[in-house]
Amino acid sequence: MLDPSTPIGMALIAAVLPLAGAVLAGLLACVRLGRFAHLPAILSFASASVISAVVLAGVAEGHDSLSISTDLGTWFSVGRLNVSFAFLLDPLSLIMLATVTFIATFIAVFSAGYMHGDPGYARYFSIMSLFVFAMCLLVMSNNFFMLLAGWEGVGLCSYLLVGYYYAKPSAAAAARKAFLVTRLGDVGLVLGIFLLWQVGGYETNFDAIFAHIAQYPPASGTITTICLLLFCGAIGKSAQLPLYVWLPDAMEGPTPVSALIHAATMVTAGVFLLARCAPLFVLSPEAGLIVACIGGATALLAGFLALAQNDLKRVLAYSTVSQLGFMFLALGCNGVISPKVAVVAAMFHLFTHAFFKALLFLGSGSVMHAMGNVIDMRKFGGLRKLMPWTHATFVIGSAALAGVPLLSGFWSKDQILHGLLEAGESHAKYHTMYFGLFAVALATACLTAFYTFRAYFLTFWGNERTPPEAHGHAHESPAIMLVPLVVLAAGALFVGVLVDPLTHWFGHFLERSPSITEAHTGYLAHSNMIEKPHEFSWFVAGLSTLAVAVGIGGATALYRRGGPEKVPPALKGLYSLSLNKLYVDETYGIAVVKPAEMLATTGRQFDGFLDAITRLITYLPRLIAALLRPLHNGLVQFYALGMVLGLAVFLTVVVFRSAR
Amino acid sequence: MISLSHFLVVGAVLFGLGLVGFLTRRNLITLFLCAELMLQGVVLNFLAFGRMHGSLNGQVFGLFIITVAACEAGLALALFLMLYRRGRSLDSGLWQTIHEQGIPPVVDVEPLPIYIPDVHPILPVAGRKPGVGPKAEEPSRA
Amino acid sequence: MPPELSNPKLQLAFALVIGALGTYLLLPKPKRRSIASGLFLLIAAVSILGLFVVQTFGKPIGEFIPDILFWLFSTGAIGFGTLQVVQRNPARGAIAFAFVILSSCGLFLLLAAPFLMAATIIIYAGAIIVTFLFVLMLSNVKGASNENDRSREPLLGSLAGFAFIGLILFTLLHAKPVEAASISGEFTELNLPAALLTSDDRSSLREVRIELDKALANDDAKAAAEGAKAAHDKLAEIIGGDGVSGQRKSVLERLRPLIGDPKKPMTHDPRLLAFTKQTLQLQKANHDLEGHLLSSADASDKQSLQKLRDEVTVYSGQGQLPARNVSNIGLLLYSEHLLAVEMAGTLLLVATIGAVAIAGRKKGVAV
Repeated sequence: MLDPSTPIGMALIAAVLPLAGAVLAGLLACVRLGRFAHLPAILSFASASVISAVVLAGVAEGHDSLSISTDLGTWFSVGRLNVSFAFLLDPLSLIMLATVTFIATFIAVFSAGYMHGDPGYARYFSIMSLFVFAMCLLVMSNNFFMLLAGWEGVGLCSYLLVGYYYAKPSAAAAARKAFLVTRLGDVGLVLGIFLLWQVGGYETNFDAIFAHIAQYPPASGTITTICLLLFCGAIGKSAQLPLYVWLPDAMEGPTPVSALIHAATMVTAGVFLLARCAPLFVLSPEAGLIVACIGGATALLAGFLALAQNDLKRVLAYSTVSQLGFMFLALGCNGVISPKVAVVAAMFHLFTHAFFKALLFLGSGSVMHAMGNVIDMRKFGGLRKLMPWTHATFVIGSAALAGVPLLSGFWSKDQILHGLLEAGESHAKYHTMYFGLFAVALATACLTAFYTFRAYFLTFWGNERTPPEAHGHAHESPAIMLVPLVVLAAGALFVGVLVDPLTHWFGHFLERSPSITEAHTGYLAHSNMIEKPHEFSWFVAGLSTLAVAVGIGGATALYRRGGPEKVPPALKGLYSLSLNKLYVDETYGIAVVKPAEMLATTGRQFDGFLDAITRLITYLPRLIAALLRPLHNGLVQFYALGMVLGLAVFLTVVVFRSAR
Repeated sequence: MISLSHFLVVGAVLFGLGLVGFLTRRNLITLFLCAELMLQGVVLNFLAFGRMHGSLNGQVFGLFIITVAACEAGLALALFLMLYRRGRSLDSGLWQTIHEQGIPPVVDVEPLPIYIPDVHPILPVAGRKPGVGPKAEEPSRA
Repeated sequence: MPPELSNPKLQLAFALVIGALGTYLLLPKPKRRSIASGLFLLIAAVSILGLFVVQTFGKPIGEFIPDILFWLFSTGAIGFGTLQVVQRNPARGAIAFAFVILSSCGLFLLLAAPFLMAATIIIYAGAIIVTFLFVLMLSNVKGASNENDRSREPLLGSLAGFAFIGLILFTLLHAKPVEAASISGEFTELNLPAALLTSDDRSSLREVRIELDKALANDDAKAAAEGAKAAHDKLAEIIGGDGVSGQRKSVLERLRPLIGDPKKPMTHDPRLLAFTKQTLQLQKANHDLEGHLLSSADASDKQSLQKLRDEVTVYSGQGQLPARNVSNIGLLLYSEHLLAVEMAGTLLLVATIGAVAIAGRKKGVAV
C-alpha cells in the first residue's frame, strides 16, 4: 500500500485532489448548491499546489538522480501487454505538477469572479477540475498508457470547456474542431506508442523501455519513425504546423479556459511528452531536425499571423502557438547539443510561459469582462486610466512575453536562442540548418515583441473608447479577479530571474530527472562530445535584446496613439495576408474538408443504393406475409386444423422414413 | 385370438373420430364431447398396452386420464357458460377477435336451412271445428 | 377376392379414404345431407377396416365368447362414435357418447380392467348428465342454428382426422412383424401370467381346477387326498417331469436356432432382439411357474390345496380378477404413484376453484 507520507504518495494525493474537487463540484450542483462549486475546485487546486510545493521543497536539494516510481496494481493485461497503474515522480513531473496546480489555482480564483452568476457555474468548475486532474495524471504517469489516458482526458475536457457555451453554434464548431484536429495527431501518438512497445521489449514503463532500447538499439529508421509518430501527437496537442488551426478557434470558450489551455493544462502536454521521450530523440538527429524545423516554421508563421489580428485573445492565441514553436525549437536541438541544455531550455520556457500567458489571458479576460464580452480591439482603446490594475499587470505580462531583459520570458528565450546557436556551431550532422533556425527564432522574437505591444497599445493607449456593449460603465474588475493577476504578474516578473540565471537551480534540478540523465548518457555515447557547461552568452543576449527593442520600438512608433489602426500602404498586402491568417483555414477547407464532403456524398448515395436493395429484400417476407396473413383468421378451430395438418405431414414423413 | 393390435385399432379409430369432430363441429358442447371421445381412445390404448406388459400401470394411467378429463370438463363447461352469457350462443365461430389486423372476419355464406316444425293437431274447444295449431315459430337466430 | 384387394396397405388406404368421405358427407351442413350414401360409405369403410384387421392381425378364433364381445363392443364404440360426431342435435350426440362409453367400458372389461370400467361408467354418467343439463339450458334451439347446422372445414377436417388414423394403423402394420414373431403359433396370447401357457395347457389346467374343486368340496379327508393326488398327476402330466411340457419343448426347439447363444450380443435386427428377449422371459416365467405349482401340489392338507386351487385358477385364465384388480390398483396408486395422486387431487381442487371463479356471476358486470 502506498504510504502518503512519502514524496510520491503526497504527489499522488496532489494529483487526485482535483478529481475529488470535480466530483464534489458536480455533487454540489446536484443538491442545488451550484453557486459554491468554485470552492472545491479552488481548495483542491490550492492544496494540491501546496502539497506539490512541499514535495518540491523536500527533494529540491541534492545531486543524484531523482526518480520515485510506484505501481498501484494492474490496470489491464492483454496477451503480452501488461499495463499497470504506474506513477513516476521525478523533477520533470514534479515541476509540471507544481506549475499546473499553481497556475490552475489562480485561474480558478479568477474564474470564480469571471463566471459569477453563469448558469453552468458548477459544470464549469467540475470540468475544470477534471481537466486539471487529467493533466496531473498525464504528468505523473509512468507508462505510455496512463499517459495516453491523461492525454485523452485532457482532450475530452478541452472539448467540453471550449464548447462550454454549447448553445452558440460557433462554440460548438470550435469544440468539434479542437477535438477532431487533435484526434488526427493522436492517431500518430497511439501508433508510436505501440511501435515503441514492440521495439522496447514489450515493456510499458518508461524506464524499462528506454533501458531496453539503450541496451538493444533498433534500426535508426525505426527510432526516427517512433519519434516522428510521437511528435505527431505533440503536433496535434501542442498546436504546431500544420495542426495549429484549432487553437485560435478555441477562444470560443470562457477566457479563463483559454488561460488554462494555453498556460497549464493542454498545449504543454506535447512539450512534456517530447521531454519525457528525450532519450529517444537523442538517438535520431533526423527527427530532431524535423521537430526543430516544424517548431521554427510554426513560431515564425504564428508570429506573422498574430501581427494583424483584431481580436485580443486571438493575438494571444497565435502568440501561444509561436511560443510553443520556440519550445519545439529547443527540443529539436536535443541530441545535437546536450539534452541538459535543450530539454531544460524547453521546460524552462514552458514554465515561464505558463506564468505570463496565464497572466495575459486573465488580463484580457478582465478587459473582456469590463467591455461587456467584446474583445475586438477596434472597438475599444485607452483603457489604462479605466483599469489601472489590469493595465499594470498586462504590461508586465506583455514585456515578459516580448522578452524584455531581466523578465522571465527573456531568460527562457535566451536559453533557447543560445541552445540553437550552440547547435549551429556543433559538428553534428545537420548543424548548418540550426543557424537558419536561429535566425528564424530571432525574427520571431522581434515579431513577438511587435505584436504583443501592438495589442497592448491598441488596448490601453490612445483615446478612451468603450464599446456600446459595456453600457458606458466600464469599470475595473473586482478584487477576486485582480488578485490572481497580481500574483501571476509577480511570477512573470521574478520567476525567471529567481529560478534560473542566478542560481541555475531549475537546470540542476531538472537534470536529475532520469529522462534527461538517460538522454544525456545517450547523447554522450552518440556524439562523443565534451560536455560544455552552460554559460550566459552576452552575444545572444545582446542580439535578442536588439530584436526585442526593434519590435517594441516599431510597435511604439506605429501604435502609441492607440487605434484605430493605420496600415502603411506599402504593407497592405502583407497586412491583409496576416489578417486573413494566410488563408490557411480556407486552404484546409478546399484540400481536406471538400474532398471529405464529396466522399461523404458519394457514400451517402451508395448507402441509398444499399438501402434500396435492402428494402427490396424486405419486400419478400412482406409478400409471404401477405399470402399467409389470411390464415390468421381468429378461429381457434381453424388454427387447430392447421396444427393437425402440420403434425400429420410431419408424422407422415417420420413414419414413412422409418418404415422404409 | 384377440391381440393387442385389435384394441389399438379401435383406440386409433376412436381418437380419429374425436379429432374429426373436434375440428369440424361448431357447437361448443359437441366439441367437448369429441375431446372426451379422443380421451377414450387414448385410455383404451393405455389399457391394451398395460395388459400386454402384464402391468397395472396402464390402468393407473387411465385413472389419471379420467381425473384430468374431469378437471377439463369442469373448466370447459364453466367457460362455455361464460361464453354463452356474452354471445347468447354456443357457436365457436362467434369468437374470432384474435384474428390478424386487417383480415375480414369469416362470415358464413350459405343460408341456413329452414326447418318446418312438425305440425301437431291440437284439440279444439269442444263444439268447434278442429283447426291447425299455432303458426310455426320463426327460428330465433337466422 | 382379387389379389390386389388382399394387399393390407391398399385396404387401409381405401378404408380411410372412403371413411373420410363418408364422414364428410354425414357432417352437418346447411345443404341437405346425403345420409344414405354417407352411411353406405361408412359401413363399407368399417367393413374394409374389419377385413384389414382380420387379415393383418389374425382372426379372432378360439375362445368364442370374448371374440364375439370384442367385435360387438368395438363396432358399437366406433359406430356410436361416428354417430356422435355427425349428429346435428347435441342432445342426441350426448346419448351417442353414452353408448360409446358403455361400449368402451365393455372393451375395458375385456382388457381385465373392471375397476376402471366401473369408474368410467360412474364418472361419465355424471359427466353426461351434466352435459345434458347444459344442452337443455343453453342450446334449446328450435330450427336451424349456426352451431348445429354448419361445420368448420368439413372436408379438410375429416381428411386430417382420418390421416391420423391411417398413420397409426400404418405404424401398427409395420410394427406387426415383431409382434407376430413373438406371439406366433401357440404363443399367441396377451402377456398375462396365464398367457405364458398354451391354450391347450390352459384347458388342461381348467380340468385340474375342476378336480381340485371336487377334492375341496369333498368332506371326506381320504377322498380329498385322492382328488388332490389325481390333480397332482394331471399337473405333472401337463408340465412334465423336467419342468417343460412336451408341447412347449418342441416349440422351444423350433425357436432355438433363431435365438442363438443368449449370452452373446444379439444382431442389430430389432425384431430378432425383441423376439429373443421375449423368449427368454417366457422360459424364466415358465420355470418359476412350474416350481411354484409343484411345491404347492406337494402339500396335502386343505389349506395348501385351497392355495393351489387359487393358483391354478389364475393360470388357467379364469382368475378372480375383479377383487385383485381393485386392491392391486390401490396398492400401486398409493405406493408408486403417490405423488401423482396428490397432484391429481390438487389439480381437481384448482379446477373446482377455477370453474367457480370463471362461471360465477360478477357484481356489476352486465352479462
